[in-house]
Amino acid sequence: MPKTTRTAGAVTRRSGGRADLLLTAALRLGFLALLLAVWTIAARMAPPGLFASPLAVAKAGWAMMAEGRLLPAIAASLTVYVTGFLLAVGFGSLLGIAMGTFRLLGRTLDIYVMALAATPRVAFIPLIIVALGLGLQAKVLIVFLGAVMPVILNAYAGVRAADPELVEMAQATGASRSRILAHVILPGAVPYLVTGARIGATIALINTIVAELYTAISGLGGLLAIYGSRFRMAEYLAVVVVLALIGAIVTEALRLMEKRLLRWRDA
Amino acid sequence: MIAGGSKLAATGLAHRFGPMAVLEDIDLTVNKGEVLAVLGPSGCGKSTLLRLLAGLIRPAEGKVTLNDAPPSPGKGSSIVFQNYRLLPWKNLRDNLAFALPDWPEPQRRERVDQVLRLVGLTRFAETWPAKLSGGMKQRAALARALAPRPDFLLMDEPFAALDAQARELMQQELRQLVSGPDGPGVVFVTHSVDEALVLGHRIILLSPRPGRIVARLSTPDWGGDPRDHPDWPELRRRMWQQLRESVLNDPNSDFHHFDGRP
Ligand SMILES: Nc1ncnc2c1ncn2[C@@H]1O[C@H](COP(=O)(O)OP(=O)(O)OP(=O)(O)O)[C@@H](O)[C@H]1O
Ligand SMILES: [Mg+2]
Repeated sequence: MPKTTRTAGAVTRRSGGRADLLLTAALRLGFLALLLAVWTIAARMAPPGLFASPLAVAKAGWAMMAEGRLLPAIAASLTVYVTGFLLAVGFGSLLGIAMGTFRLLGRTLDIYVMALAATPRVAFIPLIIVALGLGLQAKVLIVFLGAVMPVILNAYAGVRAADPELVEMAQATGASRSRILAHVILPGAVPYLVTGARIGATIALINTIVAELYTAISGLGGLLAIYGSRFRMAEYLAVVVVLALIGAIVTEALRLMEKRLLRWRDA
Repeated sequence: MIAGGSKLAATGLAHRFGPMAVLEDIDLTVNKGEVLAVLGPSGCGKSTLLRLLAGLIRPAEGKVTLNDAPPSPGKGSSIVFQNYRLLPWKNLRDNLAFALPDWPEPQRRERVDQVLRLVGLTRFAETWPAKLSGGMKQRAALARALAPRPDFLLMDEPFAALDAQARELMQQELRQLVSGPDGPGVVFVTHSVDEALVLGHRIILLSPRPGRIVARLSTPDWGGDPRDHPDWPELRRRMWQQLRESVLNDPNSDFHHFDGRP
């Protein structure tokens, strides 16, 4: 009896899942249409020159692309963003895992990491400029510093949240410390690592723009500064849309990665 | 009964956590091919006893020996836990392989397939634990424990979380698994008098914390279904009485020992 129920439940859930997916897609498209409608109306009502309609923004975006201004800016921003973010994920995960694994290191460092995480990183920008100048290195460091904190703290928390019963099981098989780390503690910390990466990715994108505004003007942040100061709202909003797209794509990619890594949860 | 001559023994064993005495004055021996059932009230130190026997923790007093040497985790003994403790991110095959860290690959795969067949889970080799029923998970945990061919299985209320039917089947399965000529010795911790009688060649009864051995008993060769044996009702009655007394009375009082032969 319980077996039948379980099978039936699984089947319903699966077919329900596909219908759910279609519904979600339809609702999302509907909401996008609503958003564009509201945007269009708002653009009509706003005083001329302060806002731009979706159509004007699309045209401006197309023109910027044709003139070869948009793609190089995207490339420049992505270089800063991806480099800083990947360095943050790599270094932050390693440090957080080390802090969780070696208790003394963790207890020594954790208050400093938390203090640094609570300090607005913008405060360091003048220092970074003095040390590294206005170029790529400075920008990458600004992105890195923003993204690395949530990665460290989540990796640290993930290792400490390891299931002591699974660790004991592994010890009972005679597993070494490194084997326990690789097969028990790290797989168990994956949800935390992914959460850290996701928060880090958001901060990294924000800091990319901040870096491009505060150091040598470049990339999408640079375009925002130029068009913003000249009240070229259509171009300005086109850049904002591109940023939103980058954010959405990265978040979705991380979500897919998480789903794949955690497929054992309800396979 | 003593096949291969392997022996797990505790002498003068005592343990405490901080100021709290958990086990006192434990003497016991288990031979390969023999099942020792450990019966005792909640919190009397049964799980602690298994950890000591496995070498996961060091005793405060006395000693444990496995074939005359101190025990070392994973060397000669395996634990089966009540809550299975399968790694949720590994399929069954990889969960079992995890217990064979030093085995070369072809042999490891062969051994994993062998124990999967032994517990009837071959079809589920590539399945995640989350998809299995409690009974299947416990069979997998048993297979993982058997995989390294331990001399001794240390089982901590392994069937307590299963429904009555699955428990009965698992008891039968375990009896068959350990009765072979190469069967391991088993220390089987349980709350259930019936389970102790069905599975144990010998039974020890622990007092409430700090756990001491208050009774030792040998079961007859049941032959078929133990419940059909003429001695069953009397043994069962006596075990219950002992258990009741040990819980009701001052845990430090001196119980009379009896060998249980009617
Ligand atoms: N690592 C530990 N640190 C401190 N106290 C502990 C530790 N492990 C167990 N204890 C305590 O020691 C006592 C015995 O615990 P143990 O788990 O061995 O009992 P048990 O007989 O297995 O109980 P149960 O029947 O509930 O499984 C309990 O009071 C428990 O709270
Ligand atoms: Mg216990």
